[in-house]
Amino acid sequence: MKLYDSFRSALQSLVVNKLRSALTMLGVIIGVAAVIAMVSVGNGASASVQATILNLGSNLVTVQPQFGNDQGLKGAGAQAQNLTLDDMRSIQNQLGDGIAAAEAEQGTGRWQVTAAGQNWNTQVTGVTEDYPIVRDWKLDSGEFFTTSDLNVNAQVAILGTTTAQNLFGDADAVGQTIQLRQVFGGDRGGGRARILNFRVVGVLTTKGSTFGFSRDDQIVVPLTTAQHVLTGRLNIVNSIVIKATSSDTMDATTSDVNNILLQRHNISDPASADFTVTNQNDTLAALSSVTGTFTLLLGAIGGISLLVGGIGIMNIMLVSVNERTREIGIRKAVGARRGDILTQFLIEAVALTGLGGVLGILLGWAITEVVHRIPQAASLPLLITSGTVIIAVGVSVAIGVVFGLYPAMRAARLHPIEALRYE
Amino acid sequence: MNQSVVQLRGITKTYHIGRDITVNALRAVDLDVGAGEFVAIMGPSGSGKSTLMNVLGCLDVADGGTYLLAGENVGKLSDDKLAGIRNKHVGFVFQTYNLLSRLNAIENVELPLIYGGDRHARRQRALAALEQVGLGDRIHHRPSELSGGQQQRVAIARALLNDPSMILADEPTGNLDSRSSAEILAIFQRLNEAGKTVVMVTHEPDVAAHCKRIVRMRDGLVARDELVPHPRRAEDEIAAGIGAAE
Repeated sequence: MKLYDSFRSALQSLVVNKLRSALTMLGVIIGVAAVIAMVSVGNGASASVQATILNLGSNLVTVQPQFGNDQGLKGAGAQAQNLTLDDMRSIQNQLGDGIAAAEAEQGTGRWQVTAAGQNWNTQVTGVTEDYPIVRDWKLDSGEFFTTSDLNVNAQVAILGTTTAQNLFGDADAVGQTIQLRQVFGGDRGGGRARILNFRVVGVLTTKGSTFGFSRDDQIVVPLTTAQHVLTGRLNIVNSIVIKATSSDTMDATTSDVNNILLQRHNISDPASADFTVTNQNDTLAALSSVTGTFTLLLGAIGGISLLVGGIGIMNIMLVSVNERTREIGIRKAVGARRGDILTQFLIEAVALTGLGGVLGILLGWAITEVVHRIPQAASLPLLITSGTVIIAVGVSVAIGVVFGLYPAMRAARLHPIEALRYE
Repeated sequence: MNQSVVQLRGITKTYHIGRDITVNALRAVDLDVGAGEFVAIMGPSGSGKSTLMNVLGCLDVADGGTYLLAGENVGKLSDDKLAGIRNKHVGFVFQTYNLLSRLNAIENVELPLIYGGDRHARRQRALAALEQVGLGDRIHHRPSELSGGQQQRVAIARALLNDPSMILADEPTGNLDSRSSAEILAIFQRLNEAGKTVVMVTHEPDVAAHCKRIVRMRDGLVARDELVPHPRRAEDEIAAGIGAAE
C-alpha cells in the first residue's frame, strides 16, 4: 500500500469526523502551545537575567574583601587586611596585557547634591580611571578623569544621565559645579554641614537598570578623592574589578589575581584568604542553572498537558478502531495486510498530533505575543527558538506514534471474519 | 471442466464454544470447482456452508486437509500471505454489500488495487468495472445515495477489479427485492458466460436455480452435488417482468 493512499484515507476519516478530530486535536494544541509559551517565557527570563549581568560589564573578575564569620577568632594573629588601591595597581602591573583593564571602587553612600538651584539625593562612588573600559560604559559628553586627577584627589565628578537630568535638565552639565553635602550630628539645625564643590567633567550614557536599581542615577568621582575628601577611609577599597581579555581567559585571570593577592597579603593557605575572587562566568553559570531549572519546570507543566492530550488521542483512536471494525474487515477481505491497517491508523493518529502540533505552535506564539503586550512583561525578551519549535513538533508526532500504536495494533490484529461480522 | 480453480481434500474445521462444547463445522469436505463454473452452495443453518465459504475465501484456514486455490496450497499460510491471496484470487460479494460509506462508488471499487496488483490505470480499470455492471453514470455517488441493488453492483465491480480466479458471493441477493435480485443474478450469469468462475452461497432454491451446479451441505459434509440441467435465465425473468409484478 502506498503511503499516499494511507495519507488519503487517514485524512478522509479525519475530515468525516470534523468535530471529533478538532476536539481531540485541541488537547495536543493546548499541550504544544503550553510548552511553547512556557519555555519561551523561561528562555526570556533567562536571557533577561543574562543581559542584566552582562550589563555590568563583560568578562569581569571581581575581588571583594572576605567577611568571614570566623574573623573575630583570628584575634591578634593574622589580621584580615583590607583590599587597597595598591592591590589593584599591583594586579595591573603584574598582569599587564594579560588583562583588558582593572579598576577599584569605594562606595561613599548617599549624598545630597545641589546645583543650579536643584536638589537631588544620590549615590556617590569613588572609582579609578579605567572604570569606563571595565564597565563597557562610554561617556555621553565630557571626558572621564585620569590618573593625574586621582593623584591630586581632584574634586571632579561624572554624572549618570538621570542625575544630570535632575540637576541640570536639558542643559549641558559638563563644566558646571555641583555641591555635595552631608549633615553630621542628629539635631535638626544643630548639626554641622559639610559642603564640597565638585566640577562636572562628564556625563555617562544611559545604561538602564540592574535588578530594579537604576544605574543612571549615580555620581562617580576619583577613588582617591572619595577616600580623602568624602569618607576619610584611606587605603581601603570595597572591590577590585578586573576585565579579562576574553571569556576564555577568565579562569586564568581569576587564578592569577588570586595568586597575586595571596602573595601580597602573605597568606599561604588559600582557604583562609581574606578576599574572594568571583568570576562572572561562574555567576552566569549559577544563574543560568537557576533559570534553566525554571525553564525546565515550566516546560514540564506544558509537557503534562501534552501527555494528557496524547492520552486523549489514544482514547479517540480506540473508539475509532472500534467504530470502524467493519471497515477493517472489508479492507482485510480485499487484501489489506496487517501492516497496511497499522499504517493507516498510525498515520491517522500522527496526522492528528502533527497538525495539532503546528496549530499549537501558532497558538503558543500568539500567547507569547499577548504576554508581550502586558506592561510588566514587556521587557522580557520572549524567545521562541527554532529548537523549541522542532522539539514541539517532534514530540507531538512522537506522541501520535506512541499513543496511536496500541489502537493501530488492535486494528491490525483483528480477524477478518470477526471484523466483518461486527455490527 | 478443465483446469481446477478450487480443490478441497478432507477439509475439517472445528470450533470451540466455551470450554466444553466443540462444533465440527466441517468434517472432511472434498470439493472441486473448475474454471468457468457457476456453483451454488446450499444448506440449512449450521450445515457448515458459512465456514466453507470462509475457508474458500481464505478468510479462515482449515484445521485439516488440503486446499489448492488456483494451484496454490493455501492451507498453512500466514495472515499476511492469505491477505495477498484474497487480493489476487478472490472477489468477495457480501449480503450486506460491505461498501465503505465514506468513499464514493469508484473509490470503493478501487480499494483492492490499493492493496496489491497493478497500480497503474487504477481509475480507468475501476471505471471499466463499474461500466460492466451498468453503473458508469454513478461513479461519484456515495453508497448512501445508491439503492441496494446498485450498492451490490458496486460490490461486484469491486470484486472484479483484480481479475480474481473466483468470485465468492455470500447470499448476494439476501437483502434485495426480486427485481434487483434478478438483475444481480443476471450480472453473475453474464460474467460467468464471459468465463468467470462464480461460487455463491445461498439458502434460496429460486436463486440457486440460476446456477449451473448445486452443492448441498449437511452437518459439515457435502450431502449432494448435482448439475442443474437447465439453469433459469435471469435476463428472461426481467424481460417477463417478474420483479415488476411484486
